[in-house]
Amino acid sequence: MKRTAETPAILRTLRSLKVVVLHPQDQDGEELLAQLQRIGCDVEVFWPRLDSLPAGTGLVVMAMRPETLSMTFPWLGTSTSPPVIPVVTYENPIIIEAVLQLNAYTTIPSPVRSSGLLTAIVVALAQFKVSRGRERYIDRLEQKQARLRIIQQAKQIVMETRGVSEEEAYQILRSQAMLKREQIETVASEIVKARETLCF
Amino acid sequence: MTRHDSDHTSEPIRIGVLYSRSGVTAAVERTQLQATILAVEEINRAGGVSGREIELVCLDPQCKPRCYAQLAEELIVEHRVRIIVGCYMSSSRKAVIPIVERHNALLFYATPYEGFEHSRNVIYTGAAPNQNTLPLAGFMLTQFGSRVSMIGSDYVCPYESNRVMSDLILERGGAKANEIYLSLDAPWESYLDAAQRIKECAPDFIFSTVVGEGIPHLYRAFAHVGLDPYRVPIASHMTSEAEIAVMGNDVAEGHITCATYFQSIDTPANLGAVARYQARFGEDQPTNMCWEAAWFQMHLLADAIRRVGSDDPALLQRVLPGLEFDAPQGRVRIDEHNNHTYLHPLIGRVDTRGRFDVIGRAPERVKADPYVVSHTTPAWTADAHPELARSGDAQ
Repeated sequence: MKRTAETPAILRTLRSLKVVVLHPQDQDGEELLAQLQRIGCDVEVFWPRLDSLPAGTGLVVMAMRPETLSMTFPWLGTSTSPPVIPVVTYENPIIIEAVLQLNAYTTIPSPVRSSGLLTAIVVALAQFKVSRGRERYIDRLEQKQARLRIIQQAKQIVMETRGVSEEEAYQILRSQAMLKREQIETVASEIVKARETLCF
Repeated sequence: MTRHDSDHTSEPIRIGVLYSRSGVTAAVERTQLQATILAVEEINRAGGVSGREIELVCLDPQCKPRCYAQLAEELIVEHRVRIIVGCYMSSSRKAVIPIVERHNALLFYATPYEGFEHSRNVIYTGAAPNQNTLPLAGFMLTQFGSRVSMIGSDYVCPYESNRVMSDLILERGGAKANEIYLSLDAPWESYLDAAQRIKECAPDFIFSTVVGEGIPHLYRAFAHVGLDPYRVPIASHMTSEAEIAVMGNDVAEGHITCATYFQSIDTPANLGAVARYQARFGEDQPTNMCWEAAWFQMHLLADAIRRVGSDDPALLQRVLPGLEFDAPQGRVRIDEHNNHTYLHPLIGRVDTRGRFDVIGRAPERVKADPYVVSHTTPAWTADAHPELARSGDAQ
């Protein structure tokens, strides 16, 4: 050990984390609730149904039981869904398939013990954050890619219709954009659309 | 009651003991062993529990985590023990937990540790960080400043304490002057070198998480390089009367410890326990925080056995949460939800006789919060007798 690092931000925020527990009140349910309260999270327990998540839910811990397989939870799998940690009792293929559907980053085995839950929560939150960040990055890349493609097409049209070089075509697009106080890709897409309209 | 029943119920209750008599932390573990023996002798002299004597099965794990695990298994399987008291360093406790959980036995653990643990099969009677590191940090950062040198033994408990301290230092805009870790068996020369490096950094105080045989080395090295404890003290939550007895009062004087017990406490419970201990084990035997927890946990355990009339861990787990006892430090209570203990944090400064002058105390017992990540220092540490903290300036 060289130097202690600063405490990770996710660990610091655990005491304000709102956790929804979707689990029957059996021994596992009691163990889960007690350990989440020791960790200091804000916990609410539901079972068996939960049609909408309470506002501000940051994590869902849910029992994977045969009886939950037929249920639908409308708040799962949307762009605003929080991470889900399944509590796995059966390890048969049907249940494992259901676990895969949740896109979980980690699972908690039954019987539930107090040790292991804290690590599972932090791993789930950290991976969720990484994954959300990566999705946003991919979105931005795709948008950028689409913009570049439009500008490229527009340049091509200008080069062909005006008989200019690629560099000159780009300068024409740029000065048009400045003149109209528009983004260069807006001008480009108008040109591409106009060409499409002309070439029906 | 049939004759058979009375035979059966008068059999002694056997309790396993895992304290090391050799190895790096043997000095303090020996005091925990003797505290356990004292408590059991007191319980038996008063008639035992429900008419049964307590019989200790003491094995020596020699400060080796692997031995703790093997001997815990041996106690449960061969000696038919359902309750074990013992372990000191976290590595030993972590080695024993899987075994007590597998056999549904109970471990009573009487040593301060780094928190972030809960097992249904462990009762924690030593301090969690919010009961020692936190008050110590609050007191030192307020009274001495926030440029801090850290020195610790190279294992998990010191890292975790230093994480807490580092966060608090940074929050106050302070700085870590240095952060040094030495192996548990590091020689005197390593401590001398570390003391020299710390002296050159001129910090406001030193936060020590050194344990075991390294503690006397550390304090001697500080005296050797000429650091004045009344200007730049070592602050620790592990240095106790046990280590002061080894290093010598002259070397220890002026340094600061936060603990939930000091021998110098003048409660009737403490005066009585210390007198009986010294009558039994020698007038020169000092007591310490780990001794006290080892002593009171045995009385708490006896009370729990009395209540359920059995040493069955499943039954004991029902009555232990919420149980209270008038310990030498004051009234303690096992928390209903986390198996840790409400304790009374104190800040003490070593006097010329090697005893702790209490220069700060929590206004009431403090609930253990083993899973707290972001700490705030308790208010009482900010106004805990600054004139006493600085008393050396006048000398």
